[in-house]
Amino acid sequence: MAEFTLPKNSEYKNTKGKEHKASTEAKNKKSFSVYRWSPDDDENPRLDNYEIDLDKCGPMVLDALIYIKNNIDPTLTFRRSCREGICGSCAMNIDGTNTLACTKAIDECDSKKDVQITPLPHRPVVKDLVPDLNDMYAQYASVEPWLKADSPAPQRERLQSPEDADRLNGHDGHGPAMCILCYCCTTSCPSYWWNGDKYLGPSTLLQASRWIDDTRDEATGERLDDLEDPFKLYRCHTIMNCTSTCPKGLNPAKEIANIKKKIAERQH
Amino acid sequence: MKSCCNKKHEEIRSPLGKARGLGSSKSGFAHWWSQRITALALIPLSIWLLINIQYMFATSHVQATTWLGQPMNAVGVILFIWLSFYHALLGIEVVIQDYVPKKSSKTIGLLFARFFFVLLGFMSAYAVLQTNFGVDNISFVLDDMHDFPISSK
Ligand code: SF4
Ligand code: SF4
Ligand code: FES
Repeated sequence: MAEFTLPKNSEYKNTKGKEHKASTEAKNKKSFSVYRWSPDDDENPRLDNYEIDLDKCGPMVLDALIYIKNNIDPTLTFRRSCREGICGSCAMNIDGTNTLACTKAIDECDSKKDVQITPLPHRPVVKDLVPDLNDMYAQYASVEPWLKADSPAPQRERLQSPEDADRLNGHDGHGPAMCILCYCCTTSCPSYWWNGDKYLGPSTLLQASRWIDDTRDEATGERLDDLEDPFKLYRCHTIMNCTSTCPKGLNPAKEIANIKKKIAERQH
Repeated sequence: MKSCCNKKHEEIRSPLGKARGLGSSKSGFAHWWSQRITALALIPLSIWLLINIQYMFATSHVQATTWLGQPMNAVGVILFIWLSFYHALLGIEVVIQDYVPKKSSKTIGLLFARFFFVLLGFMSAYAVLQTNFGVDNISFVLDDMHDFPISSK
């Protein structure tokens, strides 16, 4: 729903954040501006600046955040788990692009400017870099992302040809089944910003397309029925932000087009 | 997103309940498809009309109405008007659905857009048909108006 007013205490008012300087001996220094907001005080959000010695820290932006948490400010809050681009926990906005902190190298960032780190956009913030993604998980659950079949289960697993499996995994490993549900795409989609209460968004639709094209699934028609809706599906206007931001190199816009194509196919 | 105590009633609903909402309307395909088909059809029609309008600048009013009097030209122009208005209506409906959050304003906006474009469509089609079947030359009508008692001092 297009809403242009922000809840109390959520507006960024250019409040001066805290500054932390690296030691003067450090030769290889880099500054990070990190979004800070806590539900426990009545403060508005601010950007804290941390200068760190890169020689003491790993190569990725996530390493810098861990370094800050361990050595400078233990109150800094962010999500992470696998630190190798598999769990999707560390999705955040780095230098204006949604991506995974654990796969984004510090030296890929603009060398002249401070690295700016904010939470995934257009979401309520739980704390600092942790956004509330519950609605998106529920939307994902609403497309019933599991195999549905009425034929009795065979003795062994349900079979699928290697070509059919390829459609899901992708020849190059970039098929829809490779999605890690990080929601970088959904939170970058303007249509989702305005109508996220009803539009399912690129991540969930990519998953829906993955099940529609699974040859072992027997509920294709039912799935298409449930998606044919001006808001759930047709809010996608092929702006392609989703595809250009996906840190795993997947193509949600193409998967959405696939669903529209399937719905068109059954009309003729 | 501060605490749960001051949440509105509807926000207490489970996220899955909210996500499922009223379910699918099982429509939307026709709208999306029509928008693309009208766009496609408008490409040759616009080129045809633009070429002809260009010639019309150099001709007299009578020659222009004679051109419009040809059955195929009249059909082409009416088709162009209907398709472009229909295409514009579909586009405006998408914009309203995208950016008008309030349910009541959205419904009113959508209805108004529909009425407006249907009205425009009929008016334009009537104008074309009038040059064909009504008064042969619209300048007669204008002349008549000048003779009309009220408009003369
Ligand atoms: S292509 Fe569709 S889903 Fe992707 S960003 Fe654009 S509107 Fe959103
Ligand atoms: S499609 Fe890409 S950006 Fe979107 S949730 Fe999946 S992995 Fe993340
Ligand atoms: S920590 Fe798992 S994807 Fe970054």
